[in-house]
Amino acid sequence: MISSLNRIIVIGRNTLTEAVRQKVLNVLLIFSLVLVGSSVTVSQLATPGLDSAGLFDAQIKFVKDFGCGAIGLFGFFIALLSTAQLIPQELHNRTIYTILAKPVRRSEFLLGKFFGIVLLVALCVALMSLAFAAALYWQELQGLQATEAIYSQNPNWHTDPVLANAYNHDVQQIILQTRDPQLIEAILLIFAKLIMTTAIALLISTFATSSIFTIITTFMIYLIGHLESTAREFWLAGGANASIWQSGLVGFISLLIPDMNSFTIVDEILAGNKVPWSHALNLMGYADVYIVVLLAVSIVIFNYREI
Amino acid sequence: MESSASPMSTGLPLSLRLRRATLVALLLGLWAPCKIVWEQHINREQDYLRYRGAPMTRQLRDQLGQGLTIGVLSGMRSVVADLIWLNVSTAWMNQEWFRMGGYINLCMALQPRAPIFPDMGGWELAWNASISSLYDPAQPNVLRRIKASRFWVDRGLEIYLRGIENNPTYYRLWLDTALLYQQRLHDYRTAAYYYQKASELPGALAYLERAPAEMYGPHFLNDPESEYAEWKKLWFRLTPAQKAEKQHSAGQLEWEIRRLEQKLSIPKEKRVFPN
Repeated sequence: MISSLNRIIVIGRNTLTEAVRQKVLNVLLIFSLVLVGSSVTVSQLATPGLDSAGLFDAQIKFVKDFGCGAIGLFGFFIALLSTAQLIPQELHNRTIYTILAKPVRRSEFLLGKFFGIVLLVALCVALMSLAFAAALYWQELQGLQATEAIYSQNPNWHTDPVLANAYNHDVQQIILQTRDPQLIEAILLIFAKLIMTTAIALLISTFATSSIFTIITTFMIYLIGHLESTAREFWLAGGANASIWQSGLVGFISLLIPDMNSFTIVDEILAGNKVPWSHALNLMGYADVYIVVLLAVSIVIFNYREI
Repeated sequence: MESSASPMSTGLPLSLRLRRATLVALLLGLWAPCKIVWEQHINREQDYLRYRGAPMTRQLRDQLGQGLTIGVLSGMRSVVADLIWLNVSTAWMNQEWFRMGGYINLCMALQPRAPIFPDMGGWELAWNASISSLYDPAQPNVLRRIKASRFWVDRGLEIYLRGIENNPTYYRLWLDTALLYQQRLHDYRTAAYYYQKASELPGALAYLERAPAEMYGPHFLNDPESEYAEWKKLWFRLTPAQKAEKQHSAGQLEWEIRRLEQKLSIPKEKRVFPN
């Protein structure tokens, strides 16, 4: 058991090292950091609001949306591109024959590869989150400076209790939004979704003969996953007026494709709404079990694959 | 990226292929019902918590266009809503009020629980569009200008009320609606109701507690001078320390209003709390 775990760790570490050395992924990571950072600039385009708090509500929302959007988008590309070429590259370089000739099970090889990509995605998400935190902090400073500038137009704002109260209220609102601890919940949910995408890509790559096929199919499943809930509702409702083919298609989607749309709950967090941890953990649990099932199916297919 | 691997099933004996297919079908067959039940549970929880925006329909797809639809389908609903929101400024600058209203509605459909959209969108329509229509130099007929102005006030009010329905704990939407009733519609009784609601919610400014009294006082009583003074007593009866300690609740305010209504013998039809 422990020796098996050691082999998985060694393969995982090796996968991570190889992935980090890839130029494409480094370029993607740099782009993502630039995009997260530039969310502050995009936020300046937001419409000025009713008052200082209104103005910064919109700008902070923009920074959060674009920051988390960039983490999700680039995380998706990094996870997809790195997973799609795992097995084809090993076959192309013929390194897989050397590895599997040793006392390494195919399942260990596959799990090692998967955990290597999980580490890579975790590393990228951590780096992007740091950039996101920096962007939010910068936005907070901008907001506080501008609020003070607005209130200081009245020379008595320090002494007038009504103005001072309103100023403190606005400052508190800005800080509450930029230092929202729920953002950690949002990033964890994005990470769970990315790992689920990685597991789907890995499953496809176990029977695909090219990386392009894996990339396109995973992308399609990802898009369809955002419509899975609609398909499921239609299917469970009996699909009135639907032909047998339509019912069969939505049934297939409902039974096999993961529900990616549930993870858009992240938008609620970014809009400032409270999402209970119990609900977030429920979603993460769903993603975890799905990943386990996908890995089990991947192992079965890979075990019987002729290499 | 292309691999030199042979196709997956070439050369595999039929028995092995069947065994593999059976194992995969068994795994997926066991998981599929659990998956459906779990997803239904998650969706029910999200419905209960009032999450999720408008479902992707053909009408929404037509409004968004192809690029933004892919954005929504990629799970970037909030980014798409923000990008559409940027167009609101452009429409506002060009005084394209119908276009602006369309963008605001679209943003609210995509993210109904983002209170910033109804908060600012309602203001754009009920104030900017409405005032601009009232003083529209291209329309010489005063009645038509007033009618157009009122049209945009109503659209703004709709946006606020829809915002409140989706974000009932966001005090600024209640405050915005109160201001609209007070300053544009001159319906002080309703304004007082919205002010009071706003004052009860988290994050509300302390002065909002006095706003309902301000609405009832000068607008509803027969002898404004003396009774206004009575109301003023109500506003200032609390010390700042008491307010800070939150000893004053909306319930107490209601009790005070009822007491005063009784004391001043306000006719039932004019009372805020007739029963």
